[in-house]
Amino acid sequence: MKIVLPRGRLLDDALELLRKAIPDLSIEQNRQLVQSNGEYQILLAKPTDVPTYVIEGADIGITGKDVVREESPDVFIPLSLPFGRCRISVARPEGDPTPPEEMKGYRIATEYPAITEGYFDSLDVEVEIIVVDGSTELAPRAGIADAIVDVVQTGTTLVANGLVEGETIMESSALLLVNRISQKTKFDLVNELVYSIRDVIRNGN
Amino acid sequence: MNGTWINQSTILSTVTRVLRKNYDLWNYREILLPAIEKNDEELDKGTKFTDGRDFYLVKPDITSQILTRLTDEKPRKLFYISEVLDGGTTGDWQFGAEYIGGENRWMVLEILASIITGLESLGIEEFYIDVGSKCVWESVTEDIPGLKNEVFSALHHRSFDLIDDLSISETKKDEIWRLFNFRDNKCDYDRLNEIIKILDDERVYADFGTVRGMHYYEDLTFEIYSPAIGSPLGGGGEYKLRHAGACGFAFNLEVLLEIFSGLSGGNRMVVDGSPEERLKRAKRLVLGGDPVEVKS
Repeated sequence: MKIVLPRGRLLDDALELLRKAIPDLSIEQNRQLVQSNGEYQILLAKPTDVPTYVIEGADIGITGKDVVREESPDVFIPLSLPFGRCRISVARPEGDPTPPEEMKGYRIATEYPAITEGYFDSLDVEVEIIVVDGSTELAPRAGIADAIVDVVQTGTTLVANGLVEGETIMESSALLLVNRISQKTKFDLVNELVYSIRDVIRNGN
Repeated sequence: MNGTWINQSTILSTVTRVLRKNYDLWNYREILLPAIEKNDEELDKGTKFTDGRDFYLVKPDITSQILTRLTDEKPRKLFYISEVLDGGTTGDWQFGAEYIGGENRWMVLEILASIITGLESLGIEEFYIDVGSKCVWESVTEDIPGLKNEVFSALHHRSFDLIDDLSISETKKDEIWRLFNFRDNKCDYDRLNEIIKILDDERVYADFGTVRGMHYYEDLTFEIYSPAIGSPLGGGGEYKLRHAGACGFAFNLEVLLEIFSGLSGGNRMVVDGSPEERLKRAKRLVLGGDPVEVKS
């Protein structure tokens, strides 16, 4: 069974969850991108690539709800996982009190163009979306954006870059993804693992 | 798809030629639809654009295109090959068939049988067809009408969370979970059970966890897949054309190509001799329906 996990901030919690759900699973801490362990193969990928891996043939994956909402992958999402909690928020430079409803014509820098477009469309506010790949909070300082839509955990990075967190667009946490075909062709294996992870979430062990 | 575009195109052409023949043999007629349609809320997928006055869709979903174009309910058996765009500049090549206005049970049987012969003609034997039922879920949610959408959404994502969060009894949750996970060669839903029995193919399953996203589906929907690849080979289901019943499906050709390993060469006649003899003989063979390879 191929399991794809997200590199970065979700990885340690994802590994801990898997170790509890599959007691005989041993995974090295060396961040090797592919590890085989008995009937399991563990792959490490960028969080934004995890849905693609699952669509293309990994059986199970873990990534953030923000990624899933942004990419709308055609996968099963049986469980929300109790880690990786954060939010996607609008943030603007300190001293700019403009609410999103009045941001018509604003340039919004973000790694989440679909979520951002959906949010401003829902407000019927036309904005220019500038897609960036990381360090979004620099965009207003660099003068290429008037505000940003970004993932926020504690808010310290925003403050350090002279930004103020405004409206929350969505709350996020990690999600368990299952390939639609694996759910059929590896029915018992997949169900066993999903039920086992659910038990770990419910009982903590 | 791997390889150069000309290789890909050749393989695509081989696959569609085999499928065309399959549907010819089942007496389906090929239809060629326009690439651009005036925007209509009944049309799914496709890429929207405007000429400043009206909105249009380029390469929409074919079944919805047929639904908006056909004005009568005459029985028809149709097939098509088309690219369907996903809202941008990319899309999927599809081969699909639609059986309209026949007897409901027979239409499903014939479409499923034609899928089986189509795949086997391509040399693909390792596949499954899972058939689900919207009516079964309608019936299960009858006593919780306010939560029907939530249950269907949970079903679409196979989500424990959405079901766990519903304000319903544990017994009801268990009933829903049993159905989510039901997959067998026989079931309690007579209509589906009968179809599986008549088809008599061990690769066809009743799977109540199978749902399809298109709004037009009525009761039975199905998904075709192979353990060899992580994406569905295709899918389809029953729908209505005004008052007439219909059943259709589409293969995702790019996924199909991933598991298509080619066909054997067949008995192509090699034609040799002088230019006059070669041409004369080749023309006679081709007119007689025999494939030729003429030496240059």
